[in-house]
Amino acid sequence: MIEIKDLGKSYKTDEVETLALQKLNLKVEEGGFTAIMGPSGCGKSTLLNIIGMLDSPTQGSYNFSGIEVGGLKERQRTAMRKGNLGFVFQSFNLIDELTVFENVELPLIYLKMGLAQRKEKVIQVLDRMKISHRKKHYPHQLSGGQQQRVAIARALVTKPKLILADEPTGNLDSKNGIEVMNLLTEMNQEGTTIIMVTHSERDSYYAHNIVNLFDGQIVSDSSNKLRAMS
Amino acid sequence: MLKNYLTIAWRNLKKNKAYSIINIGGLALGIAVTLIIALWIEDEISFNDYYTNKSKIAQVFQSQTFNGEIGTGPAIPRPLEVAFRDNYLDNFEHLVMSSWNNSQYLKYGDKSISKSGNFMQRGAPEMLDLKILEGEKDGLREINSIMLSESVANALFGEEEAIGKVIEVNNQYDMQVTAVYEDIPVNNSFNDAEFLMPWEKYITTQEWVKEAINSWGNNSFQMFVQIADNTSMQAVTDKIRNVKKELDEDNAQFNPQLFLFPMEEWYLRGNFEKGKQVGGRIKYVWLFGIIGLFVLLLACINFMNLSTARSEKRAKEVGIRKSIGSQRNQLIKQFLSESFIVVCFAFFLAIFIVLLSLDGFNELSRKEISFPWQNVLFWIVSIFFILITSLIAGSYPALYLSSFRPVDVLKGTFKAGKYEGLPRKILVVLQFTVSVAFIIGTVIVMQQINHAKNRPIGYDKEGLIQIPTFSQDFTGKYELMRSEFLGSNAVIEMSTSSSPTTRIWSNRNGFTWEGKPEGFQEDLAWTEVSHEYAKSLNLKIVEGRDFSKEFATDSNAVLINQTAVKYLGLSNPIGVLIKDDSEEDPDPPLRIIGVVEDMITQSPYERVKQGMYVFDKHGNGSYYNLRLNPKQSASQNLAVIERVFKEHFPGLPFHYDFVDDEYGKKFSAEERIGTLSGIFTALAILISCLGLFGLTSFVAEQRTKEIGVRKVLGASVFNVWNMLSKDFLKLVVISCFIAIPISYYLMNGWLQDYPYRVIIEWWIFVLAVVGALAITLLTVSFQAIKAASVNPVDSLRTE
Repeated sequence: MIEIKDLGKSYKTDEVETLALQKLNLKVEEGGFTAIMGPSGCGKSTLLNIIGMLDSPTQGSYNFSGIEVGGLKERQRTAMRKGNLGFVFQSFNLIDELTVFENVELPLIYLKMGLAQRKEKVIQVLDRMKISHRKKHYPHQLSGGQQQRVAIARALVTKPKLILADEPTGNLDSKNGIEVMNLLTEMNQEGTTIIMVTHSERDSYYAHNIVNLFDGQIVSDSSNKLRAMS
Repeated sequence: MLKNYLTIAWRNLKKNKAYSIINIGGLALGIAVTLIIALWIEDEISFNDYYTNKSKIAQVFQSQTFNGEIGTGPAIPRPLEVAFRDNYLDNFEHLVMSSWNNSQYLKYGDKSISKSGNFMQRGAPEMLDLKILEGEKDGLREINSIMLSESVANALFGEEEAIGKVIEVNNQYDMQVTAVYEDIPVNNSFNDAEFLMPWEKYITTQEWVKEAINSWGNNSFQMFVQIADNTSMQAVTDKIRNVKKELDEDNAQFNPQLFLFPMEEWYLRGNFEKGKQVGGRIKYVWLFGIIGLFVLLLACINFMNLSTARSEKRAKEVGIRKSIGSQRNQLIKQFLSESFIVVCFAFFLAIFIVLLSLDGFNELSRKEISFPWQNVLFWIVSIFFILITSLIAGSYPALYLSSFRPVDVLKGTFKAGKYEGLPRKILVVLQFTVSVAFIIGTVIVMQQINHAKNRPIGYDKEGLIQIPTFSQDFTGKYELMRSEFLGSNAVIEMSTSSSPTTRIWSNRNGFTWEGKPEGFQEDLAWTEVSHEYAKSLNLKIVEGRDFSKEFATDSNAVLINQTAVKYLGLSNPIGVLIKDDSEEDPDPPLRIIGVVEDMITQSPYERVKQGMYVFDKHGNGSYYNLRLNPKQSASQNLAVIERVFKEHFPGLPFHYDFVDDEYGKKFSAEERIGTLSGIFTALAILISCLGLFGLTSFVAEQRTKEIGVRKVLGASVFNVWNMLSKDFLKLVVISCFIAIPISYYLMNGWLQDYPYRVIIEWWIFVLAVVGALAITLLTVSFQAIKAASVNPVDSLRTE
């Protein structure tokens, strides 16, 4: 599903060029669950942003479902993201001015789906996330765990091929964290590919394979033996 | 999608109430000003729309050259009518000779009223397409007929039928009412024609009019025409241009040039200089139009600035929307719909403001503008206006906010760039440039008015009243009335004059005097006065003596003003004989017996015209000039004067004017402009300050952490206030540097219209700069001190 070859990303300021990612190669199969780990500043989020087409690489190629997306312009990347990708962020990133229902509905509006169909899908996904009783609430009226469930609902509502999760449990207590990881696993078992950036050893157990980054390079890419053992 | 946009826009407005109030309030003020100005402009440009034949009606004007100076005006001689009828009649649908609009006493039974109207030829009602309510349109057919406006008919007859009734005019002759026409609305020429009488009546009742039939030099009449359908104004002008020059050999030296001045241009383009049309009120239409647009722009700038200042708050939303599939154009549409909602709210609030202020504005601008609720065009234009304003106000924020990269904002690393604030600064500079220019402009207009008001006028206008004496009843009664009024103790001096004190009604030429330069073409203001004229006005004699009853020869005496001494080139004016060079003139020459101080009778902004005050031996006085007894109150004096007046003229209404009020009217146009520009300046500053206030609060909010850290490190409230204020002060200083040369250039140009004008002094600019800085400091300081006074722990916790 994803094939990355010799990918690099550098940031230039007036005097300094910083290499965030260099000569990176990665393959993610459809239905996989990959955890990207590494110390702060190693390039995890940069890699996730490039995979999520929020950012573009400065070198190398990035092939998504058979399409080279590395050199696409913002407008084309947006079109590719729509319906194909779902995002789950550490800080939830819900729109404060929209209710739970409206936040989840938003990606469907951008897909130009009809009202009745939108309503049906949103209710379905909210039921599944066990948050439909809060559908008229605003984000600030929810707990962190509830907000993250709404964020996952929003990522899932378009039935994307790939969900990108950036530290999804980073702002949650352990109980809510486990709940969120179980939800992601469930999604994955239903066929959704998941790529997750995490610092948490515990969360990485849920992944099929773990990619370790250090200074913008992959230092190990292995199947998750612990998970396999369990 | 649209619903989603509108939902979020509405919730954003509700959530940020202060921001919304500033934005909507400021924009509403701007739109209200623009709306009021638009209604005023519409009223101005629709002047004379009452007349269905507007595009075909014109007045015959002539330009004449006196000593190289070209004068242009509507006064024409009677023989011109005959020339036109004989040779050019096929060019006209109607040709109408007319008197000037004059007050007459109309009496029916016990009721006697003074109303103004014209003597006009038979075609007038048809040409003007008067709306006849009773009677016939051809109401000037009979010589003893009179057409009345509805309000005059009501005033005279009340509920009774007017047609066929006989009214007495000036206690002199009877006229039968043949028609009642709808009152001509205020914003139209002839609005003051409250009655019409036949031109033939004018000729038969006024000897001088009858005598003018062959006098090409007597330019005392008006001619209106409606051109034929198969021709144009220009084509007719080309034909008539030299008619007078060719037929009037005596005055050919003045090169009289005739032309048709179209009704469509009377009101807005009625000024002439050197024989050329040079605009007129149209410049105020442009001026206020531009002011309206600028005020609206200021309000739009507030919207742009406050929207972009909030960018960091909106960045997250933009990032999320983009990450889940929103295209940039969808975000642009979203932000534009937000601005649309704000503009819609502002527009409806603006209508409310307009409705509240329309009466006051009408009073100020002397208009009768009403809100055009039923005008479909107004609403269509309003919709366009809302859309365009939304686009102007929303375009920059929409483009700016939608350009954020999702990766930056979602990573939480989004910080506005180094130059992000630059456009905002430019907009603030633009706002204050306009505001400072408005301040300078208003101060200069006010100064010019005061300059003209403080100008010595040559006589004492306080405690002086004038009573019109047009009726035949006054004939031969001057000496009697003078002794009655003086005997009443309400009046300390009295005189008569052929023109009101504040006007020149007659100009003359065709004189000779010793030492007159060869080819000199004089043009002198001519007023016929009684012996006591100078005394009653407290007009100072600077050389020679006043008229005196002791000198029988004073019946041929004349006083001239100081300007006339220079104009006529007289080094020793007393005793000089001024002779009418027409051979038919039976009168002996006029002897100059004295020189009076220049007195302002025309525009206080122009130089005083050379004038002669001739002893009135024919009893041509049109006004009594009464100097009230200063030892009694004006109301006491007036009560006594009215009683005396009524004893002698029981059938005439007692009508008088205070000369200082009449003189004050000369400033009304400029005072209106001054007051209006003062109000618009205040609103422009208020709108700019609203924006600045909002902007300061956002800057203070953005820098909360910095303020906290600085305070922890020892910064005082003053240090923080200084830090937050100086950035804005710098912008205002830049604005002043831009506004000063622009406003100097524009106001200097405006002042060129006035020969008697103020000099633009440097302190005006200093005043504007100090004013702008003070206003800025006041606005900014409130927020700056508030932010600086917060406990640093709270500031850091906020972050």
